[in-house]
Amino acid sequence: MSDLEAYRAKAAAWLVSMAPTFGRDARKGLAEADDLALGRRYQKAKFDAGYAGINWPVEYGGQGLGHLEKVTFDAEEMKHGFPSFYFGISLGMPVPVLMQFGSDREFVKERVLKALQGEEIWCQLFSEPSGGSDLAGLRTKAEPDGNGWKINGQKVWTSWAHYSDYGVIVVRTDPTVPKHKGLTYFWVDMKAPGVTVRPIKLAGGDSHVNEVFFDDVKITDDHRMSPVGGGFAVAIATLMIERYVATDSAGFGPHLDRFVDLAKSVQLNGRPAIEDGRIRQQIARNYAMRAGLDSINVRARLMMQAGMMPGPEGSLNKLVAVRSRQKLSELALDLQGSDAFLFDEHASQKEDWASSWINAPTGRIAGGSDETLLNTIAEKVLGLPQDHRPDKGIPFNQIPA
Amino acid sequence: MTILYDESQQAIATESRRVMEARVDKDALLPLLETVGEYHRPFWDTAKEQGWTALALPEADGGLGLGLIELGLIAHQAGRSISGAPFLTSSFGAAKAIELFGSDEQKARWLPGLASGETIGAIAFAAGPDTLPRQPDVTFTGDGLEGTARGVSAGLAADVAIVFANGPDMPVLALVDLGGVQRSAVPSFDNSRLVADLSFSGAPAETLAVGSAARDTALRVLALQSVVTAHEQTGGAEALMEIARDYALTRRAFGQPIGAFQSVKHRIAELYGLVELARANCIHAAAREGAADFITAAAAARLSATEAYDTAARDCIQIHGGIGVTWEIGLHLHMRRARSLAIEQGSSLFWEDVLVDRLAGEAA
Repeated sequence: MSDLEAYRAKAAAWLVSMAPTFGRDARKGLAEADDLALGRRYQKAKFDAGYAGINWPVEYGGQGLGHLEKVTFDAEEMKHGFPSFYFGISLGMPVPVLMQFGSDREFVKERVLKALQGEEIWCQLFSEPSGGSDLAGLRTKAEPDGNGWKINGQKVWTSWAHYSDYGVIVVRTDPTVPKHKGLTYFWVDMKAPGVTVRPIKLAGGDSHVNEVFFDDVKITDDHRMSPVGGGFAVAIATLMIERYVATDSAGFGPHLDRFVDLAKSVQLNGRPAIEDGRIRQQIARNYAMRAGLDSINVRARLMMQAGMMPGPEGSLNKLVAVRSRQKLSELALDLQGSDAFLFDEHASQKEDWASSWINAPTGRIAGGSDETLLNTIAEKVLGLPQDHRPDKGIPFNQIPA
Repeated sequence: MTILYDESQQAIATESRRVMEARVDKDALLPLLETVGEYHRPFWDTAKEQGWTALALPEADGGLGLGLIELGLIAHQAGRSISGAPFLTSSFGAAKAIELFGSDEQKARWLPGLASGETIGAIAFAAGPDTLPRQPDVTFTGDGLEGTARGVSAGLAADVAIVFANGPDMPVLALVDLGGVQRSAVPSFDNSRLVADLSFSGAPAETLAVGSAARDTALRVLALQSVVTAHEQTGGAEALMEIARDYALTRRAFGQPIGAFQSVKHRIAELYGLVELARANCIHAAAREGAADFITAAAAARLSATEAYDTAARDCIQIHGGIGVTWEIGLHLHMRRARSLAIEQGSSLFWEDVLVDRLAGEAA
């Protein structure tokens, strides 16, 4: 057994031992506040067992292991339905970026340790009403104020802001230069005066994202994590941190086996649906697509193991998997007919077709819309030209609104 | 078997690409479309001289002892440059059937010639839309074959064929020497595939397998061939994606390269996705040769490669606009080949059923 396989086996055994306390069944019927409290205890258990910050430096409470060990652990963890997602953004992007760019190292260390143990949560304040895919078009501004800064404006789609203690934020500090050049990156205390968090209820009924308003929020200059005007580069660095995360060829929806089981259990025209050509075709097509993604993922892992850089095809997973999950979920509801109406808004989208279906649009938009991902492939991988950008090179305050 | 190519495998890919790009040209392939009964001889001469014919056959039988991974790499390059003959796949299928299920005598008689490329093999399993028919059109009467196998690729040039036939009580997989068998050319949209109807009237044949073993054997041979073809399809799709990309970078309309329009650039980015999924499935399937899930992996490779090549042919021509539909530019060579490869060894309709039978636990 390779070292990595030994690591996987040990992690898998630990996760199995945790499942009765923190897993899917333990969480059934919990209100969100109780689920979060359980999540904090689970995060602490991970920390104590050496599974938090797997690929982070030991001096910051991490394990000092490689990216492979982290992806391996994540893939195993995903199987049990643990309440780990409250910390996914926090530990995925803002806290690593704080580790990299935070100026007060003692403060940084304290925050990182608390975040790793589930005591504190960080959010990422990037998107705004006027710009999601067009991040550099953001309008929230920070103006000099004494020795520090004063922030005014609004962020949106901020995951877990309502539970967050801190956040990282990109704001405009100079509207007189082209849009990418007038941004600066800070961290903020989410409990500071002038910060208002308002949850947004999403189509599926849950409210994990928020609007966040900043009204004369004052911060000192030691909150700054980039040069003044150098915020865009740190924002991109934030988004690149989790480039090779554990992926899911099911697009974070149900496994194809569940669809096959459904097709075997229901009848169409008096015959098992699994004998119907339309159903069979979709099973076959989805299998081929998912098998291709799985093979791409395995190859990427083998390349990393061999010290090579995986190819850009890893970026296909979210694009291909989520949109096909959306269609397959519709078909699964078709298969159930009027039995499909019964809806449990708390069901897991990995296990329930209605939940998978109703939350699929979020998956196709959040973290890079399908269209943005296609642009990235076309431009960065294939070398095709950028779209026509009328705002290019124009000072931000002269771009027609 | 790992799915990362090692150095010698990468060398096979690089070298075969260099050789094919130097020797294959579109201007030689275009006239073949309008000639029934001819294939591109320089392609096959090159295949023989480079040892590609022997690559995946055992050393004891005159082969080079490599496997599907290596042959797949050659097929990928052949697909990129549109192979001039179907024999790389057809002879491989016949040779594998004999290698895996033939007697020592049969192996000694046929394999060295198939390995050197001097002997050409063909597979005749289908009856029109039925890839592995319940009722084959050909009947085996104890010691000879009767009936007509329709639409056999490579059939015009083959010296030996593996035929799926009705036996006295059950299906048989028969080995038949095609010397003396009547063949008539089928004029097709891709004439260098040398498609022929083979008419048997008492042609002497030997059985390789009977009953359910005949079906299983035939499916296994089809799956082996299909993985080779899937590599060829992926190579063709990859070439088309690159042609589309290059054209979108140079062709200008409304004051900018057409590749700056999202309707065009997204279409090409989608092709990239299809090509990479097909490639990943191909590598996986080739590495599963001999494993219990080989048929499943082969079916997935075949389905994604067929989709990639068909879609790339459609979209690459569309992106070219009017020039794309001219005879001269030759994109229709790929479009025709995409369809002939989609049909040989069973269309997507067949492989979808094969795959779902396995996923749903219905396979025999």
